[in-house]
Formats: sequence, structure tokens, C-alpha cells
Amino acid sequence: MKNIYKSIPLIFILIAAAGCKKFLATSPDQRTQLTTPQKVAELLVTAYPQADYATFTDAASDNAEDKGALASSTVKDPVNGDPYFWSDVQSIEVGSPTYYWNACYAAIAAANAALDAIDKAPDQTPYLASKGEALVCRAYAHFMLSLFFAKLYDPAGPNDSPGVPYVTTPEKVVFGQYSRGTVASTWAAIEQDLLAGLPLIKDVSYTVPKYHFTTTATNAFAARFYLFKKDYAKVVSYTAAAFPNNTIAANLRPWNTTYKSVSAGTLQVLFTQATQPQNILLTETPSTWARYYPFYRYGFGLMLNSYFTTTPLPTATAAVNGFTAEVVYYYNVPNYTLLKFEEEFVRQTANANIGTAYTIFPQFTTDELLMERAEAYANIGGASSDLALADLNTFLSTRLTNYNATTMAVTYAKIASTYGTTDVKSGLIACILDFKKREFMQEGGVRWFDEIRLNLPVVHNIKAINNTSTYITLPPSDPRRLFQLPAEVALSGVPLNPR
Amino acid sequence: MDQKFYKKRKLKIARFLFILMAVYVSLPKAHAAVSHQSKTERLVLVLKKMEQKYRISFVYDATEINKDLEVTVPEEAKSVDIILKQLSNYGISYKIIGNEVVLKKNAVNKLKAADITVKGTVFEKVTDANSKPQSLPGITVLEKGTHNAVSTNVNGEFQINVKQGAVLVFSAIGYKAAEVTVGTQTNLRIFLEVVVNTLNEVVVTGYQTLNKQLFTGAATSLKAEDVKRDGVTDVSRMLEGRVAGVSVENVSGTFGAAPKIRVRGATSISGDNKPLFVVDGIVLEDVVNISNEALSTGDANTLIGSSVAGLNPDDIASFNILKDAAATAQYGARAMNGVVIITTKRGKDTKGKANVSYTGEFTSFLKPSYSTYDIMNSADQMNVYLEMQQKGWLNQGVTANNANGGVFTKMFNTMYNFDPATNTFALRNDAPSQKAFLQRYANGNTDWFNVLFNNSLQMQHSLSITAGTEKSQIYASTSFLKDNGWAIGNSVNRFTGNLSGTFKINDKLSFELLTVGSVRDQMAPGTLGRVSNPVLGQYDRDFDINPFSYAINTSRVLTAYDATGNLEYFTRDYAPFNIVHELQNNTLGITQIDFKGQLGIKYKFFKDLQYSFDGAYRFVKTNQEHKVTENSNQAQAYRAGTNPQNATILDNNRFLYHNPDNPNALPVTVLPYGGFYNTVGNNITNYYFRNSLDYNKTIGTDHVFNVFATQELRYIDRQTVTFDGYGYQYDQGGVPFIDPNIVKQNVQSNLNYYSMQYGYERYLNYMARGAYSYKGKYSLNSTVRYDGSNQLGESTTARWLPTWNVSGAWNVDMEDFYQRSKISETINSITLRATYGLVANSANATNSSLILQAVTTNRPYINEKEIALYIKDLENSQLTYEKQYEANLGTDIGFFNNRLTLTVDVYDRKGFDLIGPETTSGIGGQAIKTANYADMRSKGIEVTIAGTPIKQNDFRWSTQLNFAKTSSKITNLQSLPTIFSLVNPDGGAQLGYPQRGLFSIDFVGLTHDKGIPQFITEDGSVGTNVYLQSTTTKYLKYEGPVDPTLTGGYFNSFKYKQLSLGILLTFSAGNKVRLDPVFKSSYTDLDASNSIFLKRWEKPGDELTTNVPSIMDRYSAGQVDGYPYNNYNYSTARVANGDFIRLKTMSLSYLIKPQLLAKTGLNSASVSFAANNLWLIYSDSALNGKDPEFFGSGGVALPLPRQFTLSLKIGF
Repeated sequence: MKNIYKSIPLIFILIAAAGCKKFLATSPDQRTQLTTPQKVAELLVTAYPQADYATFTDAASDNAEDKGALASSTVKDPVNGDPYFWSDVQSIEVGSPTYYWNACYAAIAAANAALDAIDKAPDQTPYLASKGEALVCRAYAHFMLSLFFAKLYDPAGPNDSPGVPYVTTPEKVVFGQYSRGTVASTWAAIEQDLLAGLPLIKDVSYTVPKYHFTTTATNAFAARFYLFKKDYAKVVSYTAAAFPNNTIAANLRPWNTTYKSVSAGTLQVLFTQATQPQNILLTETPSTWARYYPFYRYGFGLMLNSYFTTTPLPTATAAVNGFTAEVVYYYNVPNYTLLKFEEEFVRQTANANIGTAYTIFPQFTTDELLMERAEAYANIGGASSDLALADLNTFLSTRLTNYNATTMAVTYAKIASTYGTTDVKSGLIACILDFKKREFMQEGGVRWFDEIRLNLPVVHNIKAINNTSTYITLPPSDPRRLFQLPAEVALSGVPLNPR
Repeated sequence: MDQKFYKKRKLKIARFLFILMAVYVSLPKAHAAVSHQSKTERLVLVLKKMEQKYRISFVYDATEINKDLEVTVPEEAKSVDIILKQLSNYGISYKIIGNEVVLKKNAVNKLKAADITVKGTVFEKVTDANSKPQSLPGITVLEKGTHNAVSTNVNGEFQINVKQGAVLVFSAIGYKAAEVTVGTQTNLRIFLEVVVNTLNEVVVTGYQTLNKQLFTGAATSLKAEDVKRDGVTDVSRMLEGRVAGVSVENVSGTFGAAPKIRVRGATSISGDNKPLFVVDGIVLEDVVNISNEALSTGDANTLIGSSVAGLNPDDIASFNILKDAAATAQYGARAMNGVVIITTKRGKDTKGKANVSYTGEFTSFLKPSYSTYDIMNSADQMNVYLEMQQKGWLNQGVTANNANGGVFTKMFNTMYNFDPATNTFALRNDAPSQKAFLQRYANGNTDWFNVLFNNSLQMQHSLSITAGTEKSQIYASTSFLKDNGWAIGNSVNRFTGNLSGTFKINDKLSFELLTVGSVRDQMAPGTLGRVSNPVLGQYDRDFDINPFSYAINTSRVLTAYDATGNLEYFTRDYAPFNIVHELQNNTLGITQIDFKGQLGIKYKFFKDLQYSFDGAYRFVKTNQEHKVTENSNQAQAYRAGTNPQNATILDNNRFLYHNPDNPNALPVTVLPYGGFYNTVGNNITNYYFRNSLDYNKTIGTDHVFNVFATQELRYIDRQTVTFDGYGYQYDQGGVPFIDPNIVKQNVQSNLNYYSMQYGYERYLNYMARGAYSYKGKYSLNSTVRYDGSNQLGESTTARWLPTWNVSGAWNVDMEDFYQRSKISETINSITLRATYGLVANSANATNSSLILQAVTTNRPYINEKEIALYIKDLENSQLTYEKQYEANLGTDIGFFNNRLTLTVDVYDRKGFDLIGPETTSGIGGQAIKTANYADMRSKGIEVTIAGTPIKQNDFRWSTQLNFAKTSSKITNLQSLPTIFSLVNPDGGAQLGYPQRGLFSIDFVGLTHDKGIPQFITEDGSVGTNVYLQSTTTKYLKYEGPVDPTLTGGYFNSFKYKQLSLGILLTFSAGNKVRLDPVFKSSYTDLDASNSIFLKRWEKPGDELTTNVPSIMDRYSAGQVDGYPYNNYNYSTARVANGDFIRLKTMSLSYLIKPQLLAKTGLNSASVSFAANNLWLIYSDSALNGKDPEFFGSGGVALPLPRQFTLSLKIGF
């Protein structure tokens, strides 16, 4: 009996000591591990920057004007006001450059985590499609960052100014240290990832392909990438790869058919729906853009409306003032809208008043791709100029009501008279830019890309109380064309942009 | 022969006494240490009691043994032997012959060669120079180094033959031993100093019961009987105002909501800052972890956050609060916030008799009244409404079909109410009719407190039985609490049961079994979680029907009943609303079952070494049922505007469903029938095991050692289950009607109708401590602990943390030089303590490995949705525990024979590696990381003065004053707080400021033309638009800490014969309080105006004399830049001091004289009357009588009621 008592402590201590290691290895919650191809693929759903750049790029571009302090129902928000004045955006909320910066790197982190898991997998074969997607996602996020936060790649220049940190490994410490490298190194890395990923992409691997880099989307990305790099032949070839057999023309936004026939509410829905073939890649982003874009003080106002609806197009014989199939609506003049976005409001709880507003953004569209190809053709020149003109006409054919291919066609002569240049190339490009400025009104991004890519001066009005306007200009090569990095990058040893 | 026998016996006695001591020291379970006090009584009484108790008789020679000798014997001895052995200290030996005990005076050693005879008298040392010293009988006088001893006679005189130059040792239980060298003087006068509780004084550390001599930390122990407050059902509230350095803030008075308890202030910037509760040696886990900040939200889970709420106050024996690192060291990585140890009552040796004790408490609560809240009466309120009407707010066009509306909405809607039969409208659209309509309400002056509160009765019955023999002891209790509810819609039933048994199998082995259970059944108003809205700078809660917040936020113009006495409805969320009706139809039921089984085994290998095992299993199941009937406003809001169709409401009702696939369709209701049945379950399964070894050794009389080693395992599984039931038809057979659209709507919004989540906590700890005391003068204590936890994530590197501590104490009064000095006559004891060590906390970060979570993508169409994994947290390989170095210096001083005691502790804490959100460059992929990012330094002083100024036969006054001052400063912080995070009522963390500092937007005055408030905005200019989400916080004005820097209590107890009176005052100071956010850019006819509105800006020029902004006209409200009125709520104009003095408790009790009870068969009976939360003596006038402790009401939170309790205690 006594011996039994004596052994009690020993028994308990032994029980407790055994299995210590396993005991503490229990996960504190139900977190998952990246152990299957499916989980890796699911992680890549978040490898797309979930943030909008429309808010700050639209305000910075000349697709925004000052509606004035007295305009009724306008929304004043620094996230809209600061970029209009090309000053550093103080806000870090949705729609700000900082928010976009963070979202891009979050997407990169997801891609890197996926690539890390794939590298560790004993057999990479089932992961190859995901590997392709991860590489393209990583390239895409870095590419978008380099458009906003670093100087652009110049094929003729040394490209030795700072790029953006190119991250290829998961961060495991609180303050990872990074280098911006150079524009050259950043763009080389983007190109490398893009070209490595492209052949691995498999459309069948996606459940909702429109939200992923499909072959089409990847080629569209490549087309945009090479347009920025001014490698025009590649723009043409990647556009062809995106839409083999030139099916691109059949997939433009049906402004003068379907869009014209539906109600305003339906139009708003269609614009960002996955079923619409013109949307090549969609991203859902926490954003209040859909709610405020008609109302921002610096946005689509009286002057832009007049440009949009009353400036003549270079059409052959018929006088056409603007894209007549695209109807401008308004909520109290001058709050104009083209009904392109609808907000998805995700309530915090079932009954809550507050929650997160989401806006779906098309990242690549057939319309943009077509215009990129047209610009590439125009730059290649020679016989390709006619192809550029053809693309412009294809584009216009879906944007004018009662389109007549004879009277409403764009012609070299009309381009020359409308844009005041006899040079075919510059005329074509002026027309392309004009069409793009109109077409991508209130979408942000595209117009700003053109302005930085071609180093166009940007003019903004400032409306006084008496409604007179003074003007400020963002000259070419101004350092303010680069948005400012978040101040915290100093913690990672990364310098800010000069001001 | 005789002689030899005695010698041997004495030696044995000495050894046995030591063993006995060891048992005391190491038997924390078996004997609640506090009950082991010795009692000084006349010998004759002691013997008489023993004769009765043990059925023995004593035989002694009265000339030899002085029966009036005052002897000290343990009150609760386990055997006759123990008591009798104590008598040897008085020179009395014994011999048991059958049932007879023969007492003999110790034979004086007859020494052959005694050189001299020393005579003398021994007195008790007195501190008062005027009083005559009393002689001490029964003092042992021993010639040092020999066995030659005598004891003093009745007159304290002795005579002993000793060698020349011998040293005499005078000793007795209860006195400090004194040594005197025999010189030439042969008639000595010896003064012995009384030592209070030397033998049995112990400190309960939760794991063991340690001889106080060996304890060197800062701790406070409280006997439950001293701090128990009648009518207070939550035991943690008993600590209020009683312990220096422990602040108890009552942010909510609802049953089950824990008070905000802090020991020595906050240590963590983002963590819970809650002390660790240890009940009967087992760490008490909370069912849900609620941070101190979250306590004030009023969310439903605050009611189940406190596990202490399941304890019956009558079962508590004592509290021990461990404050400094030396005291808490053995809890290592859980100890940063202090430890509260609760010991429950245990069985006693009653010789088999069952002692029954009953306590009944009957409590009534006073309704709150408008005198303490600052709300306009209905006439003033109507004037405000008329001004609002003038300014374009309450016109027909604006007000009819309002989502929320009061009398004006009602008036305009009535005008549309056409009766075709009479061809008239219910109300004519002309001025006289309108005036008549409004007049009734202007005169209404509804007292919402009267409507919504009761002077209710709460009763608590508690019955306990103590029974035992020397070997087996049982304590059993049960209690029942019934609270009918102070506010309507609130009620509580609580049952507790407790059974504990201590069983001594033999000298080596003992068992302890403990089974504790409680069942709670509570009703509260239905509530939804609070959400913070940083855009507007406010907290939103839909369908809030908390009676208290309703009463203070609802206009007194509104009436609860119409002219005919029926419930009168106004509009909320487009649906009819009446608070009384809603409280009946929208309820939250909370049930909780809490069960704990506990086993303790002690085994003594040999006399110095004891092994103990403690194991416990606890299971708690909590269920919240939110029942929203089809008749409730909340359910009807889901159908408002659809039947009959009302285009305005259809457009605006946010509860209707807009089908994104069909953008042109009219919105439809998703809840055509029925209401909601939503449940939330929180369950916890908890295992706890501990193995300990306790080694005690005394070498000679000078060296006392204790070595304690323990290994502890904690296993906690938590489960949270939610389920939202749609369309439940309460009065139609309980059958749900589910409209598929509600599922679709919620799926599209990523709101799942059910959820279930697990959390796993695993801890494994090893601890060892060594303690050493030399001659009772010097003590050294050192602890090392090694903590392992899975809470930081799956990384093996972050898992383990060693902590350590070194401390020492010096009992200055034991030094010879001190005892000889003059000062020892006034200051009879001085102890100095010093501590330095490391403690830690595992905080709320789990990302030592990558955390991936699944989410459904937020896309509007179901066919575009997919499952995504997202990186919730990147791996942080540097993650570690929050840690803190603490240095503590303390002293315990006793004056005038401990009539007055003073305890002072000062501490300096350096917190580092504190965890919280840290803004990074974002390049790694996570802009805000949870990381060890901050350092904080805090300092403080704690003082307790206690004494008994008057101590007479019939009258006794004892008093205790305690206070603590603490301040903290963040010395390193990387995060970038937003303006809103700093100006909100809970304050925020900012470098260079306290743990939670309250900041304000700098208010610079009202505009001249419109009376709109203006501020220094985030860009430094003056304007009306402060962007609350900006991280530019340099223009904010620092107000002060959110937590009080000075807290304390002042307790007095007066006892006159059978009557006693206790008065507790509590006070707190040094913090700032944000006033209620009552200002808005527009108001509705539901809003209750604060009386501050009487001072509002009304015309240009007023801005020179008032800071109260105007009521904006509608045009200006549309034009104004930003949200100036929301900003004003967070400005310098809306801050008050949090200082207060409160008469917390007053109780009067009468103990019925035992003589009177003799015939009734009762042993004891007492009646007492107590009043709690009686009077807020002082608070800042800016608060206008509002309680500075209670703010941010809503949800289920209620203030602490003013309550009166009659209680009855009977023992038989």
C-alpha cells in the first residue's frame, strides 16, 4: 500500500512530462497550412491588389476639374483633394496611394507565400498553374507600384533612378530591410516574372476566371507592360495572343446596343460584371469610389461635361460631338456620372449601419487593349498606320448611336484638321488619346497612365467663390508625377521620393 | 527515570512541533490558513473545553499548576496532543492514562553545581510609558546550552540556579524570545515583547502556504468576513477600496459584468491588463476574453466575461492580492498584471457535529432619478424642437416618413391619416390643431426612469454546513440568488453549490476533493454589438433598447402611454416603437452552467518533504438567446414600407433587399413573417494539473529553508458558436418561415447565418523557488520559472520564456541594536523588503507562424464568389512575450504594539517588448503588424495605514486608509494612432504619454455668424473640419490619463457591545473623462437634450459668452465643411475630471447576545443593514451629477444602483 502511495507522484510527473512537445505544438486557432494545390490556389485569390488607384489617379489627371466650393452635394475629402493639387496625399485610407501601396505588397506577400509553399512541395507538377499565376501576380503588383511610385522605364535612358523594392521572399521579421534598386532592375524583374509565369497559366484551373490572370488577361498585361516599355511590336503580338483571330473587335463595350437598351440601374451593374466579355480582369477592392465618384469636388464637372458632350470628333462627314451612345447622368449639376460603378456594401454585422464599401474595378478591358494596339500600330508607322486607323474606327463603331460606317468614320483628313497636325503618327496618337480620355472618364488610371507615359502637361482649374477659375499646371517630368511612398518606409531603409 | 523520560519527551515535542509547522506551511488546501489562529485563554477554560470536546478529564494539583495562567493554544487543533504539547511552553507536561490526563509541572532540573541563584520577574513590554507593565506567568526560562529550565509563576516570578556568566533565554509562545547574560545582578526585570501571530502566520500564494518569515513580496490579504459587502453579488467588487494599488472601476453594474480591475495600473498597451484569478490553487479561466476597454461597450458577452460571477460570496474565506514581482513570480508569464487569489471555505474538525449557517440577504434598489442626470424637461425640450422646426428640421416634408421620429413625425403622419367614412383627416393641417396636438406632449414630462425601472427586490439565500472529525472534514454549501431586475427586462437567477472535503488517510497521505457548480439564468434587453464609426466619430448600435441609455437619451416629450392609457408608439427604423413593448418582445436570455471538480493529494515522503498533486476539470457552457418576436420593432423594421407600399420608405429602408441581379426591381422584405432567434454559445473545457514538491528544513533555530518546485499544465479549449435564426414565428407554433432572400442577402454580404470557432490554449510551466531565513532577521527568496505556451503560434523558438526574481527582507526589529534602542518602544516592528525580477504576459499575438484564414470574396454576385485564403498575419519570427522588470521597495512598520501599522511600497516597472499594432513600411505585405513594439515605464507608491485608535471593553474603533498613486509613460512606440483613436472616450496610446491618454481636438470658439464650433484642424489651421482618421495628431491637446492615477479607500469600523458600524469611502483622482457625445449637426424629435443646450448659441455675439454650439439650420448643415458637431464631442470643451469621492458602503449590524439565544438552540444570530453606492460625495461639476465611472452606456450596461440590503445570519 505504502509503495503505491509513493509511486503516485512519479506516475503523475511521468504523465505530464510525456508528450510535452506535442502538447505545445497545438495551434492556438484553426489556422490552415498550405499543404494542397487547392489551398495554394485559394491563397492566390488574394494575390491581386485589393485597393483602388482610381481615386487618386483620377483626381491627379485632367479628367478631374474643380466643381467649386459652392457646388451642392459635393464631397470634400483629402483623398480626392490632395492628388488634385499634386500634393502628398495625407490620407492612408481607401483610395489613397498609401493604401494602394500596402495592398500591392499584401498581394505580393500572398504570391510569395504561395511560391514558397510550391517550392517546398515534393512534387511541383500539380502546382504549376498556380506557380504561373503567382509569378504573374507578383509581376503585376510590382508593375503597378512602379507606375505610381517610381520613374517610368525609358528605353533610351539609363533608368538608374530608384525603382520599387522587388520582394521575392516572405517577410519573417517585423521590419524587413529592402532596397529600391533601380528602375532598370525593377522592370527587369517584372519582365522576368511575367515571362516565366505566362506559359504556365492554365485558364481551366480557375473557378471564377475573370478575377484571375487568365491567358487573355496575362497577355493584356504583357501588352500594357510593353506599351510602357515602348516595345510596340510586342504590344501587337501580345494583343494578338490575347485575342487570337482578332476577336477583340467583337468584344468591345456594347455602348450603342446592349448598354443603350438597358435601364440606368442595369447599366451600372453590367459595367463591372464578370459575364461581360469586355472585362478581362476584375478585382474587388475596398473602396468608396462607387459611392463618391460623381460627388467628389474634384471630378467630372461642367467643363469636362462640355468637353465630353460637345467637342467634335474627327468623323468623316457627320458632325458628331462626343460619344453619343454614352449618356451622362447627373445628381444635381455639376455632379455628373457615367454610371460605371455600383457599390457593394458589406455590412459589419447583419443589422449594422456601417461596414466596408467595395467597388469592383476592371483592371484590363478589351477597349483599352484595342487602343493600346492602335497606339502601337501608329508608332510602328508605315502600313501599320492604317491598322491604327481601323482600330479607331472599330472602337468608334460601338460608341455612337446610329453608327454609320461611312459618314461617321475617322479619317486621316479629319484627324489632321481636328488635332491640328499633318503628321500621321502624331495625329493618330492625338486621336487615340482623345478617345481614351473620353472613354475612360471616371475610371481613373488609364488617362493618368497616358499622361505620365507620354509626359503630357496636366492642367487643373481652381474655382474661386465667384466661379472664376485660375489654373495650375503639372509640367512634364515634374517630381510630383510620382506619388509619395508612405513615411514608414524609412523603417525598412527605403528612401522617399524627392519633392 | 522520570527525568530521562521528560528529556526525551521534550526533544520529541520540539521536533514534532516543527513537523507540525511544516504541515501548516505546506497544507494550503487542508486548512485555510487564516482560520489557524491561536487564541489566548485562561488555562482552566482551555481544559474545560477540552474535557467537553474530547471527553477526557484532567487531573492536576492546583497549587502546582496555576489554572488562571493565560495560555495560547491553536483554536483549531487536530488532536488533544497538539494542544497539550503547546502547554509544555508553560512548563506543564502531561501524561495520558486512559481517559485521564495528568498534568504536572515540569520538574526543574536539579543541577549539581549551581553557582548562583538568579531571581527575577518577567513582564510584558509596554509601549505606553504611563501604563503599568503586567507580569507574565508561564514563561520558560532556560539556561542557554543546557536543559536547565524553569517557568515563571502566577506573578511572573522565577528562580533558577545557573552557572556564572550563563545566558538565560526567556521564551513563550506569543512573545519574542529574549536573552540575558547573568551578571552580578541577581534580581532581573525582564520585558518580553508581544509578537502577533508568529507561529502560524502564513502567506497564501495560491500554490503553497508559506511561512510569512520566508515571504518577501508585496501582498495584501483580506479576510472575506472583513470585506464582504452585503447585497453585492460579485465577489470581485469586494476588493473595491480595500487594497492599496488595486483599482476597481465599475464600468457596468449589470450582473455578470466584471468590474475593471487593475493591480498597480496597466502594464500592457494592447492587452487585457486583467489580473490573474486563482481560486483554490487553480487558475480561473474566463469563458470569453474581454479586454478592459471592451467592458464598457455593453456588448452581450460582457455579461459572461467574468468567471468570478459564478462564485457564491458566502463561500469565500479570503482574498490575497499579490502585487510585486516577488509575490507573483511563481506565475511567471501570467503575472504581469498581478494575481488575485481566492480561497474558499473548508471543513473543520467539529467532532462530528454539523454546524449550520444560513445567510439571507434582501436587497432593494433605488430607481435612478433625473436629479443626477442632466436632461431637459418636456417644456424646455419642446422649445428646442420649435427652434429646430424654425431652422427647417421638423417641417412636414422633412419629418414625415422619417426613419426615426417622435412627436413631429407623428403629427405630420397623422395629418395624412384620412378617414373616408367621415371624409376628414385625423389631424387638421392648421396651426391651432398642431398646437393642440403638441401641447399634450409639451406637458408630458415623462419620467422614463419611472417607466423603465423598479424599486425591485433581490434576494440571496445561502446555506452552508461544516462538519468534520480529525480525519475527515466537509464543507457544503448552496445558495440561491434571485434578482427581479432593477430595470425592466433584466432579471437573474443564480444557483451555486459547493462541496469540499478534506480526508486524512494517515500521517503521510491526505486527499482533498472539491466540487463547485453554478447555474445562471439571466434576462437582459436584446442587444446587438456596438460598432465604432470612425468617419463620423461615433459608436453605432442598432436597435438599442437598454433601459438606462433609453431613459437618458430619449426626449421627455415622448410619452410611454397615450391619453387612454395604452402604449403609445413612435417611429424607429420606419416601424412603430415603444420601449416597454420592445423590452417585452426583444429579449436576451443568458444561461450559464459552470462546473468544476478538483482533486488534491498530499503525500509526505518524510517529515520535511511533501509532494502534492492538484488537478481540476472545469466545464462551462454559456448560451445567449436573443429573441426578437414578430411584434418587435426590430422585426417590423425589416418589413417597413412594403405593406402598404410606401415609396419613400422603400427607397431608404436599409433592411430591405435590393436584388443585384435585378437592379430595376423594387426592394423587398426578407422577413415577411416572424422575428429572429439568434443564439451565441461560448463553451470552455479546462484541465489543470500541478505536481509540486515542498521541502522545509530548519537547522538549529536560526536557519529556516523552504524549497518549492512545481510543474503545471493548463489545457483550455474554447468554442464559440453563433446561429442566426430568421423568420421564427413565436406566436404561431414556433415554426420558422425562411424567405430565401434573407439567406441570399446575407451570403452576398458575407454574413454567415451560423459560425463555429475553436481556440486552443496550452501551457506547460516549471517553477522552483528557494527561500531562506536567518534568525528571523534576514530572508532571501528567489524564484525561477520557465513558461511554455502555444499562444504565440506554432514556432518553437517563441514558445518558451524564462522569468526570475530575487527578493529579500530585513526584520530590523529583530536586531539586538534595535531592540535596545529607545525607538523600539514606539515603533515595535520594522521590516524592509526589496524585490527585483522579471515577469511576463503572453498578450494577444499568435503570429509566430504565418496565419492564413479562409474568407469568401466580397463580390456582389453569388456566381462570382469564391473561397480565398488570406494572410491574416505574416510570420513574425521575433515575436515574444510581453515582459517587465520590476523593482519594489517596501516596508511594514508597527507602532505601539501594532495598534497602528503602516505599509508602504514603492515600485518602478519597466515594461518592454509590449505587443500591439505596429505600422510598418508595408513592403513585407502587412502594413500593420502585431509585434513587440513598445516600452512603457510606470512608477507608483502604495500606502496602507491601519490601526485601532480606541480599544476598550465595550467600544472599539478600527480604521484603515489605503491609497496608491501610479503613473505610466510610454517610452517607445512605433504605431501611428489616428485622431479618433486618441480622442475617443477610451483614449489611446501615444509616445511620451500614459498607457491610455485622453486627447482632445482643440476647440477655439464658435463662429460669429452661425455659432458653429471651430477647431485647430489636423493641418494646424482653424476650421470646422477635423479629419478624424488623420494620423497627424500633433495639434491635439493632451487632457490626461483615462485611468485614475490616485485610487484608494478609507474604511472605519465601530463596535459598541453587540452593535457594529462599518463605513467605506472610496476615492479616485487624476483621470479625465470624455463627456457624453450629445452634439450632432442635426437632431430629430426623438433626441433628449442635455440641459447644457439651454446655454446654446442663439444669435451672433453669443459666441463671446458661451461655448455651446448652436442648433444648425438645415441650409448651413448642408453647407458646413466636415462634421464640426461630432468633432465638438471630442474637443477640449467636452472633458471633465474623473475625480470622485464616494460613500461606497455603510453597514450596521447587530449580533444577538449568545445568552439570549440559549433557549432557541441557535449558536449565533445577527441582523445587519447595509447601503451600497450610497452617495457620490464629490465629482466634477462638469459632469452634472453623472457618475464618472460609468460612461458609454448602451447594450446591456447599467450603472451601479443605489441599494439597501437587510441581511440575516443564523448559525446553529
